Amino acid sequence: MKRYSAFAIAKNALSHHQGWERAWAKPQMKKEYDAVIVGAGGHGLATAFYLGKNYGITNVAIIEKGWLGGGNTGRNTTIIRSNYLQDPSAAIYEKARSLYETMSQDLNYNVMFSPRGVMMLAQTEAEIRGYKRTAHANKLQGVKTEYIGPQKVKDLCPIIELSGPRYPVLGALWQPRGGTARHDAVAWGYARACSEMGMDIIQQCEVTGVTQSRGKVTGLQTSKGDIKCKKLGIVVAGNSGHLAEMAGFRLPLESVALQALVSEPIKPCMDVVVMANTVHGYMSQSDKGEMVIGGGTDGFNNYTQRGSFHHLEETVRALIETFPMVSRLKMLRHWGGIVDVTGDRSPIISKTPLSGCFINCGWGTGGFKAIPGSGWAMAELMAKDEQTGLGAQFGLNRFQEGRFIDESVAAGVAH
Amino acid sequence: MLNFRCPNCEITADETDLHCDGQAHIERFGAGASDDDLETYLFMRHNPKGVHFERWRHVFGCGKWFNAARCTVTLEVFGTYSAQSLVPPKSLINKIKKKRPEWEGFVK
Amino acid sequence: MFSVTGLNGASSNGSINVKDAGLIGMITLRGDLKSDAIAKVIKVVTGTNIPDQRQCVFTSKGATAWMSPDELLVMVDYESVDATIAKMEKSLQGVHSLIVNVSDARAVFELTGSSIRDVISKGSPADMSSKILPVGEVRRTRIAQLAVAFWFTSDTTARLVCFRSVAGYVMDWLENASEKGSEVGFH
Repeated sequence: MKRYSAFAIAKNALSHHQGWERAWAKPQMKKEYDAVIVGAGGHGLATAFYLGKNYGITNVAIIEKGWLGGGNTGRNTTIIRSNYLQDPSAAIYEKARSLYETMSQDLNYNVMFSPRGVMMLAQTEAEIRGYKRTAHANKLQGVKTEYIGPQKVKDLCPIIELSGPRYPVLGALWQPRGGTARHDAVAWGYARACSEMGMDIIQQCEVTGVTQSRGKVTGLQTSKGDIKCKKLGIVVAGNSGHLAEMAGFRLPLESVALQALVSEPIKPCMDVVVMANTVHGYMSQSDKGEMVIGGGTDGFNNYTQRGSFHHLEETVRALIETFPMVSRLKMLRHWGGIVDVTGDRSPIISKTPLSGCFINCGWGTGGFKAIPGSGWAMAELMAKDEQTGLGAQFGLNRFQEGRFIDESVAAGVAH
Repeated sequence: MLNFRCPNCEITADETDLHCDGQAHIERFGAGASDDDLETYLFMRHNPKGVHFERWRHVFGCGKWFNAARCTVTLEVFGTYSAQSLVPPKSLINKIKKKRPEWEGFVK
Repeated sequence: MFSVTGLNGASSNGSINVKDAGLIGMITLRGDLKSDAIAKVIKVVTGTNIPDQRQCVFTSKGATAWMSPDELLVMVDYESVDATIAKMEKSLQGVHSLIVNVSDARAVFELTGSSIRDVISKGSPADMSSKILPVGEVRRTRIAQLAVAFWFTSDTTARLVCFRSVAGYVMDWLENASEKGSEVGFH
């Protein structure tokens, strides 16, 4: 693989940029792999990458039904933060955030990580107390956040309306090292690095069955033929329940549609990410100038990658009262992704009743920020076959044992 | 936009008049139940790609609960029926089977 | 005792006329609507039969509206509410029922004009066609984000009920939706 660099751009310019090689290979599927990952989204590719990088397991295939990064990785609002309340969540999200800081160098691929700062507005007394509690918890966890007053909010984001018609802005939880990244580039960067390590990314290949013998996974049936594998990682977000059914176990998940939209591009007007959870809207400005807006989930199970219109209406209404200047903006596109939500709003990184089969799912409405941390933890789980490390607390058995990692406050609405 | 006919007041209402409360026909377990049963009752939900039975409430209308059969992939509503049913009515199941021959049938 | 409505006599005159319907005695009755005891008491206090599903029936004495399979809204003179409730409670002794005075918890609007259906359609998901919602039928639904109920008393008059706490908002909403020049002309 040729390295990307300023020198390479100059050199290729001489040959009219005809000399660039494919970023990742388009291999034939082999008959057998040490490990197969189902799902070539951010989490699946990151899992494969850290299996290779941290544990030297490179005889790996990543199977994808559609195209890589075409699910929620390509559909989210790209917010990265780690201001969670519970210790296990703060640990994994902070690991992810710190990996994002060096990701462009680690992958030799510009993921455009922009630590512009993330603020979550407190608009009720209860929210003030909640965010102060989170700020204190984050201090103990080594996550840098602080509770700021309304004046600091206005200084950081001048376009905000502090005395909105329904809820005033009373303060905010501020994480200065949170931010955004280029979502597609994260998937592409991991894909290029995995391909470089000799892993096979098989796209347009749908899994149709999981084969097992004596309680142990032995392989997969796919639309491109059968493959054998020693270890299987299922990393398919909204479709987890479907895959789990094939593997013969149930998951405490429900899949719902989450929507987002972007406006027409405008001049830079906002260099932080703002989330207003009480009125229910969140927004940041992309490098192209589009305002990137996140909406809410539908209240019912849905696999259509398309949400209800009235949720968009609700989100836009919330944004107009928080940022009156956006009321004249035209919206360019809106779309939906299928997110898998657990009972305690925390993910599942777990061994399963089927030996050799591991699952990483339940990231709900906020998986993008966790991609590197999630891949790191899942790779450790798969390599060691042991519920340990960053993902130790995220096992499936927590629902039976009542060991919840309740993040409904941090994750219930905004991402 | 989803439209349901509320079997209580027999009005067709759209989803903004209604509230969904998840899977219908959940078997409830109380204190003294096994860990498995409690986990199933509290957390394990059907999450099918296809036919799904749900509880809905006509919140802005008559305020009553009802059950509905819906496809989670096409958003087609097959029908609604009384919330006071232990299983979906046979006529509804037959109607769905006719439309979806590959459907495995109602699973509790 | 001096009482005022939540609207305090407000009115507006756009494409339709919106005005405070004044003080109305309103009693919520919950119970088995098929029982003879309830039919009898309704006959006594309003002079009406138990309305059919979703109907609102009137006499000179009062009105009864079907709100849900086990709920009626009984409308009588504002001054006679306490006496009416006492009468109802007495005759329903031993019959499973719930009787509550909601007169001051609601606001009632009197709508007049030929485009009421168009105006309400601007903020309600209800099917407002006269086939689906004929004169005399109650519809419980929402306007904007608020629960409301309304029924037509003739082709050009309707009553709309909402919670008292949001009466001002609904008044503003109706005034805005019926602003002259914003006629839709659909229904």
